[in-house]
Amino acid sequence: MITASQTGLKKNRMDWILFFSVLALITMGTLAISSSVAVLPSHFRIIRTHFIAVPLGFMAFAAVWSLNYQIFQDQWQFVYGAVLLMLVGVLIFGVIDKGSRSWYHLPFFSVQPSEFARVGLILVLANYLDKKITKIREFQVVLGALMLSMPVFFLLIKQPDFSAILLTLPVVLIMLFAAGANIFHLSIILGYSFISALFPILWTVITLNPELLDSPLVGYFFHLSDFGWSALTFVFGVGAAAYLLWVLSVKLYSNISGVFFGGAALVLILGFFSGVMVKNQMRYYQQKRLEVFLSPESDPKGAGYNLLQARIAIGSGGVLGKGIFSGTQSRLGFVPERHTDFILAVVGEEMGFWGTMLVMGFYVLILGRIRICAKLARDRFGYLVNCGIFGMFMVYFCINFGMLLGLSPVAGVPLPLLSYGGSNLVATLISLGLVQSVYARRYALV
Amino acid sequence: MIERGISQDRINLLWSLVTAVALVFALRLVNLQILMHAHYREIAERNRTQILSQAAPRGRIYTRDSAAVATNKPSFSLIYFPGEMKSAEAMDGMARSLSHYLNIPFDDLQANLYRAVKKGAPMRLAENLSSKAMFSLSELKTMYSGIDIIVEARRYYPFGNYLSHLTGYISKMDAKEWAVYGKDKNYAMDSRIGKAGLEKMYERDLKGKDGGIYLEVDSRGRLSKILESRKWETGADIYLTIDSKIQSAAEEGLKKSNTGKGAVVAIDPRSGAILALASMPDYDPNRFVSYSDQKSSDSMKALPEFNVAVQGVYPPASTFKILSSIAALESGRVSPAETFFCPGYYDAGSRVFKCWEKKGHGKVDLIQGLAKSCDVYYYNLGIRTGALNIEKYARLFRLGVPTGIPLPDEKSGNIFGPSKRAANKSYWFIGDTLNLAIGQGETLVTPIQMAQVAAVIANGGIFWRPYYVDHIVNNEGQISFRGKPEKISQIQLKESTRAILKEGLREVILSGTGQSTKIEGVEVFGKTGTAQNPQGRDHAWFVAFAQLPNGPAEIAVAVLVEHGLHGASTAGPIVRDVVLAAMNGRLPERRVMVKTLPAAGLEAVAGSTMPPAAVEEDER
Repeated sequence: MITASQTGLKKNRMDWILFFSVLALITMGTLAISSSVAVLPSHFRIIRTHFIAVPLGFMAFAAVWSLNYQIFQDQWQFVYGAVLLMLVGVLIFGVIDKGSRSWYHLPFFSVQPSEFARVGLILVLANYLDKKITKIREFQVVLGALMLSMPVFFLLIKQPDFSAILLTLPVVLIMLFAAGANIFHLSIILGYSFISALFPILWTVITLNPELLDSPLVGYFFHLSDFGWSALTFVFGVGAAAYLLWVLSVKLYSNISGVFFGGAALVLILGFFSGVMVKNQMRYYQQKRLEVFLSPESDPKGAGYNLLQARIAIGSGGVLGKGIFSGTQSRLGFVPERHTDFILAVVGEEMGFWGTMLVMGFYVLILGRIRICAKLARDRFGYLVNCGIFGMFMVYFCINFGMLLGLSPVAGVPLPLLSYGGSNLVATLISLGLVQSVYARRYALV
Repeated sequence: MIERGISQDRINLLWSLVTAVALVFALRLVNLQILMHAHYREIAERNRTQILSQAAPRGRIYTRDSAAVATNKPSFSLIYFPGEMKSAEAMDGMARSLSHYLNIPFDDLQANLYRAVKKGAPMRLAENLSSKAMFSLSELKTMYSGIDIIVEARRYYPFGNYLSHLTGYISKMDAKEWAVYGKDKNYAMDSRIGKAGLEKMYERDLKGKDGGIYLEVDSRGRLSKILESRKWETGADIYLTIDSKIQSAAEEGLKKSNTGKGAVVAIDPRSGAILALASMPDYDPNRFVSYSDQKSSDSMKALPEFNVAVQGVYPPASTFKILSSIAALESGRVSPAETFFCPGYYDAGSRVFKCWEKKGHGKVDLIQGLAKSCDVYYYNLGIRTGALNIEKYARLFRLGVPTGIPLPDEKSGNIFGPSKRAANKSYWFIGDTLNLAIGQGETLVTPIQMAQVAAVIANGGIFWRPYYVDHIVNNEGQISFRGKPEKISQIQLKESTRAILKEGLREVILSGTGQSTKIEGVEVFGKTGTAQNPQGRDHAWFVAFAQLPNGPAEIAVAVLVEHGLHGASTAGPIVRDVVLAAMNGRLPERRVMVKTLPAAGLEAVAGSTMPPAAVEEDER
């Protein structure tokens, strides 16, 4: 419960703490980007794009902030339509880069629609959950939310952009969680995603250790990915096992519902299907990343090497860092993707422990402010939108930091507000504009 | 309170999760950036730096009388640092004008320049520049960016072949040597190391610490900038016990001899210090210093690396009669006054053994036997003394074992005698005894072993380990090592044995076979030898020691001239020159002046390590 004494009586239209944190992060990011790309032949183009994106982002931020966020609830169909249109459009008009058709190519810069689609999806889901809040504990609401986001995922797979899926799926789950969905229902979804991820991971483990194939059981399991006869037997096997277990539980007079067995079998089978799909859709470099995460020494000069070099960069920075524009690891090209996904390595090397702690501090501060803004929201829609944006920042923060510190796999996930990337920056500032719009229109009393 | 129909517990839960994760990340960052900082810092430094090493001047090598036999010369190399990309025309233009001044084919220069740009690594365009080229290059440096001249120390042996078998030479490492030296950070792949002699034995002392230009490279190894240049530290100087005058006399003598092949070893009997060590044929160690692979590998093929003085084994021939005499006198089997009649041959029953003098020597006692080198006398002496006794004294005089001089691959020679035969499960015949007594047969010795025998007789029975490093002075001017006489063993000879033996050896010079070595004012003792060689002409031996009247013996010499025929006529004059050189300045006037090294050139080189004025024109 929030009282007047906690927030002050005067009603600010802008959360200045959040705003200055954002400003500080963008400043640090600009310094790190300019330093790391200074020696690249394309540095002029990168700096120019960055300096186009920053004012563009702030303009978008201001525009969204001044707009009443409730309009997005009223016009959710248009938001949803725009999201789908963007993602369909990119499949037709987009250009292929690194094997994915994810970019609109415009003069001066390119646009990645998936960044904006994520924010749009948050708005659409917030509206849906707001409407269905009374029935949130029922499974069909959870399913409904998933159905609503399915077209987005489907279009992302078509690109394919696994990083975007990796970022968006947890956001959907976090929103459901925050809205108060049944934990059991969420675990089904989580179990399903877990199984769809587990199958490709296990298959990769087997490819890495071919001697495992000597065991017939492993061989059978490995051939499941071919989708042949073994897959058919697997599906029937799982179904039959679920049925037998149900019969057994009935005989034992247990009061476990049959839905549980049917659901478990369905989750397993559906997870298996998506697992096969994920595996067949995985690009070579994505496969490689998974392998490196599972066994880092398998590829010392590839992705593992990149991660190691990034870690050397962070470690060599020490407490105070080597000074801005003096990082040897990042400026001489040892750190890969230094101005995008690995920007934290540049900060760590050039600004040291204080730099990384500062970045982390601002992130935690922003997350904390989003939480406060959520609590202050005048309606449920505003609260849910803020929860979604909170989830988005949380996922970025955990995956990017975790990756650099060796606690999660190497995924092409940028660090918003710090990394170079116009679409990401503008989309992030739009989302923060939404947070501010909610904050500005909170109840005047508090 | 705002009622929305949603509990806020869940976002609070998420918030707790965020703070927990942030705490984990913070701990991880503390570990990475504070605790492991030094480790990662070192890796990052290693990542980005490359060293263009500048060879440090090796320690100089001096003789006892301060002649520098190995020094260093500054050598200037032209380096190209590829900076920002240049157009092909600009680089071709640069190559053209450089080729004009350096007198290097345009194509080679162009290829090197292109390779440097492609690899992004600095490249040596030319080495050992002449002063004329240097002069014009300093102008070109202002016109073309990226070219620079670095100075390196280059080994230089001012007297060329002089003492080459002792100093050895330096050259590039092979894979096996790299496996050993590569562990030392002071050695780079292209470092030169000592390959023979002193340069090899004292490699770590002589090496010094290489300087270098530290370059910053990017992840693809491309040069980004020059960080710093570090000054080298010179190696330690070695002062030898070698006397340059004695050494010159030995080398000149060998060169003047009829075949010009052989060895001379001169030892100070009082300490075991080597005064001269010459071996012919020799080589010019300067030829291996060259940076061009082709040139040094050509020299390598024709390298007379064989050090006759410590590696050549020959029958001792008549010089062995010294040991036969000692065996006879010490065992008491033969009285020195006893005479044997020499008709010019000795009838051993199944075979007749000849004396070298067909006419025969008539009645001969021990002193005359030594002086005239009468074989028949020694056949009789050998039969009387017994082969076992002679073999015992050969062993006591350390034949068949290396002398222990600190030089690589010293040979041990071969002991010949009944017990050796027995060990090999073979028979000993009377003829073997006769051969043993006159030093033919299977006995094999190295020149240094014979010099040692002479030294032991001269000093009354002490075996000093031969050594040649007097002291080593490190680059701070402190003496880090001092060579000391080291007694290996000692044999007790009867006073009478030594007196008679010395009388006999003196008689060799005064009235016997060694009269070519007679020097007025010096008491020389010696024994000639002519080793029969079934493969060709006989080898000439001369073993001697010398002293001023009533003084202690100062020098023991062994001279071997391969295929020199007669010890007296071929090896004798060399001994004479060597002894004269050793006694130089302490003899009455009207002595022949001994040839010394050119003093003027010596001073210039010995003066400083890197005299900038001493840039001499080389082959290029």
